[in-house]
Amino acid sequence: MKDFKNLFSPFQEVKESTRLMIIGSWLTLVFGLWFISAFTSDVHMFPTMSQVGEGFTTLWSEGLVVHIGSSLRLCAQAVIYSVFISLVFCYLSPLPILKPIASLVSKFRYLPLAGIAFYLSILINDARTLQVWVLVVFMSTFFVTSILSVINEIPQEEFDHARALGCNRWEMLYEVVIKGRFDYVIASVQQNLAIVWMMLISVESILAAAGGLGFLIKNSDKLGNQGRVIALQIIILVIGISLDVLLTFTRKKSFRYSRF
Amino acid sequence: MYKYELKQTILCLDQVSAGYDGKAILKDINILEKDVVREGVDATGQIIAVLGRSGRGKSTLFKVLTGLVKPISGRVLITTSEPNCPESAKIVGEGDVGFVDQKYTLFRHKTVYDIMMYALKSRKISVVEKKKIIEDNLTTWGLLEHKDKYPCELSGGQRQRTAIIEQLLTSKHFVVFDEPASGLDVGNVKKMKECYELIHASDELNTIIFSTHDIKLAVEMADMIYVIGFPEGTTDYSTIVGRFDLKEMGLAWTKLGAKHLDLMEKIEETMLKS
Repeated sequence: MKDFKNLFSPFQEVKESTRLMIIGSWLTLVFGLWFISAFTSDVHMFPTMSQVGEGFTTLWSEGLVVHIGSSLRLCAQAVIYSVFISLVFCYLSPLPILKPIASLVSKFRYLPLAGIAFYLSILINDARTLQVWVLVVFMSTFFVTSILSVINEIPQEEFDHARALGCNRWEMLYEVVIKGRFDYVIASVQQNLAIVWMMLISVESILAAAGGLGFLIKNSDKLGNQGRVIALQIIILVIGISLDVLLTFTRKKSFRYSRF
Repeated sequence: MYKYELKQTILCLDQVSAGYDGKAILKDINILEKDVVREGVDATGQIIAVLGRSGRGKSTLFKVLTGLVKPISGRVLITTSEPNCPESAKIVGEGDVGFVDQKYTLFRHKTVYDIMMYALKSRKISVVEKKKIIEDNLTTWGLLEHKDKYPCELSGGQRQRTAIIEQLLTSKHFVVFDEPASGLDVGNVKKMKECYELIHASDELNTIIFSTHDIKLAVEMADMIYVIGFPEGTTDYSTIVGRFDLKEMGLAWTKLGAKHLDLMEKIEETMLKS
């Protein structure tokens, strides 16, 4: 009884078995509600499981793998370009003359996607390139923000330590900021990948011919096919989580000292 | 009773004022330390303690000593310890005096071995010689088996020793410790004392300067104690308000006794007044 009461008390430690039981209960509740609402009510908030299953089957037959490949390629391209551009801004931000530029880029994250896409469409003719660069510009603003905050949070002691070792200012930048915080770059990619993944629908609708998960979900939405929409949501979520796990694994394996 | 001689000047702070944004926190700081040579002892380094209440500018003084903060006026000179020119001195710059902070900060992305190698980067010697120096130090300080570990994988004591060797390798003789005993348990304080003794006995010119709030630790370890505080009648800046030469008093390099207790009381009184 006391253990049960503890579940409703803040900051209580619970046993591993209890934790698994809580997760299991929640999953049962979610799937239970889905099952009951799909079969007992005339008004369906969610499609039935069989509709979702059907959604998966039709998506598979329509070349789901190709669409996933297209979305992943788009994301990978955008991530690589934006990481490179953002790191240049961030790593040069300790230079007093460039500091305001990096801060300004970070502020651009408040700009709407539609506006960015409009101006880029004037400059870029090719739709696929436009997709990539809309994502790059948008993602860079978030990426710069995360990396700048990592740099600003480096304790003064670390810079003093480097100076006490006789490092000049460029060596300090290289050792403390660039090499010393490289694992944080991967963590920032993780955070920003979620944002890119969220923006797939908007960006992939720019060029329907290129396909992609965003295009599929938009198409299903138009047709009012709830089963397909949920099936796609599940696919997008699973791929997103898998990428997140993969990046955490890569960071931990590549940087043994990365303990966060 | 021991016999000792004072040889060449190794550290000189001449009318130093220092602070931030043009406002002096420290004024009129004068320190002159000479190499102490003891009869019958192979090598006697110097251990200098700086005591003072909180907010009296001890950390600022240490940043000036290590060249991390430029003095507003005055100068800080250290010996260059060149073999052919024993009296040569130079104005202290970054990297000339090692600095070990309270957290024993190290490069988080380097292993113990890489940290040592980096500390030797400015030495104009071959890689083989560098490897030999590193191996000798790691063996002496009991870190050989931990050479491939990152700082986050070291215990508090191992981290402490790594930070000390790193700074010693860079600066050669001078290491400043900013409140090294704060936050350490009794075991790690003991290890810290052993580190001091090792540095002290390994080279004639080795000089440790440490700050502490622990008067007993200062009296037990140091051969010279400076007390920093506000001079009478002002709280605008700090200066040296007490200088206690334990060598002259016959209290250095000996076990704690009644005379040490008297000195501790005297130091406490000086600190409380300032």
